[in-house]
Amino acid sequence: MECRELTARTLDRRLGEADEDSLRELDGHLAGCRACRAEASAIEETWAALGDDRDAEMTPEFRERSLLLLEDEMMRLRIRAFRPKPRTVPNLARAAALLLAVLAGYLAARGLPGARRKAPEPPTAASRLPDLSESPRLSNVSYRPADKEGRIGVSFDMSSRQDFVARPEDPAMAKLLSYLVARNAETAGEKSRAIELVSANYGRSGAVASPDIVQALTATLRNDPNPGVRKKAADALASFRMSPEIRGAFLHALRNDRNPAIRVVAVDRLAAAAKEAPDAQTIDTLREKAFDSQENGFVRAKAASALKAIDL
Amino acid sequence: MAEPLTDDRDLLDRVRRGDPGGAGELFERYAPAILRFADRLLSDRATAEEVTQEVFLKVIARANQYDGRASVASWLFAIAANACRDRRRRDRRAPVVPLELLPDPPDKGEGAERRLLDRERRDAVRQALAGLSEEQREALVLARYHGMPYAEVAHILGISVGAVKTRIFRAVESLKARFHQAGEAPGAPRKGETSWNAAN
Repeated sequence: MECRELTARTLDRRLGEADEDSLRELDGHLAGCRACRAEASAIEETWAALGDDRDAEMTPEFRERSLLLLEDEMMRLRIRAFRPKPRTVPNLARAAALLLAVLAGYLAARGLPGARRKAPEPPTAASRLPDLSESPRLSNVSYRPADKEGRIGVSFDMSSRQDFVARPEDPAMAKLLSYLVARNAETAGEKSRAIELVSANYGRSGAVASPDIVQALTATLRNDPNPGVRKKAADALASFRMSPEIRGAFLHALRNDRNPAIRVVAVDRLAAAAKEAPDAQTIDTLREKAFDSQENGFVRAKAASALKAIDL
Repeated sequence: MAEPLTDDRDLLDRVRRGDPGGAGELFERYAPAILRFADRLLSDRATAEEVTQEVFLKVIARANQYDGRASVASWLFAIAANACRDRRRRDRRAPVVPLELLPDPPDKGEGAERRLLDRERRDAVRQALAGLSEEQREALVLARYHGMPYAEVAHILGISVGAVKTRIFRAVESLKARFHQAGEAPGAPRKGETSWNAAN
């Protein structure tokens, strides 16, 4: 064995990957090489020092919250699995229908020569949005950022693949997005992506958010079990013009959310609004937080400096 | 990593069949390890919890994609490693408040000093780990803290055994130099409660 192999061999031994021969060679080499003994000792000490980093322990709250989330997810998948499958159409019937459609198109074109010259009317956004009143399941949702004309796109599977494109201020688009945020996201990731699209196109970055969108986001901030999703909802709401509903959701988050990053967003947004128009409830809540010894130090400091900045 | 292979696959079958109990048992069995892994890679407890949940939601969504070539544990860790990378990439684009930097409420009473010293040591190791490249940290954490053999680490990270050895080798060399630079021998028997700090 050569001295340059020392680190690799010592690590092999530490990780239980060294065979008998290798161990014998390593021990033999260390017995006769003072420099390598010192080096091996430094490696061992480095390895041992890593043990000072204690393992993160799972809290009962996190465990409970996660199990509920998983159960909810499984139940949703089960409900979807029991849905009646779309009626299968025999291939022959499908081919016949296609043939009839082609024939009808041909005859119509021959009978109405002017029709060929007339440009087809682009369907309006509202006419293309499927009926959501029966709470249909939208799956495989994907989003497209704004095109040159500022239109964003949402594609999803319903009974067939749907592609809905409209400007953010279009009520139908707002309705679809709030539906996805509030009721339809299959996973936390899907919900997060829907909220990201809202963030990118409403509030400071674009159109005025509709009441449906605000309601979907405030409900998410109050009730979603996933802190990441709640944080995204808080960030999106923070970019909207303040309203009683949004203020109520942020006050609720500041008092009750267990994630300090979300409470920090709530302090920032409430403080910014209170600077423009101070309201008693916000100031009282910020004061409570600033003096709460059990509160996270960063949130306390934020609340205190927010109070200083408000003209009381 | 020792694991009850057959049982894990049974649990995954239950998840495939839509049995919530299967997902719950799989979570109970592996969430503590996945949380530790994510916590060390991301250095942020709240984000680590989110990623842990994401991993199990992905397991539910992708239970049908498990091909049985690797153990269920390796499959879970591979999903976790990818989720951590995605999260780091996303957080680089949109920086968030690093919760680890948020001070805890004041700690009083007996044992407070010991906890403070433990915290200092832990922080020093965390800082040293954070100084490694993402690739080195992944390999080292799996081997050092999860006791995984080179072959399993290689499978999880989708690299060769040789690459795993190189990453761990470089990680340890880098940590050794960093600790040495800090002036004290980390891991050496400490007299009393003398603390050490890695260099910043």
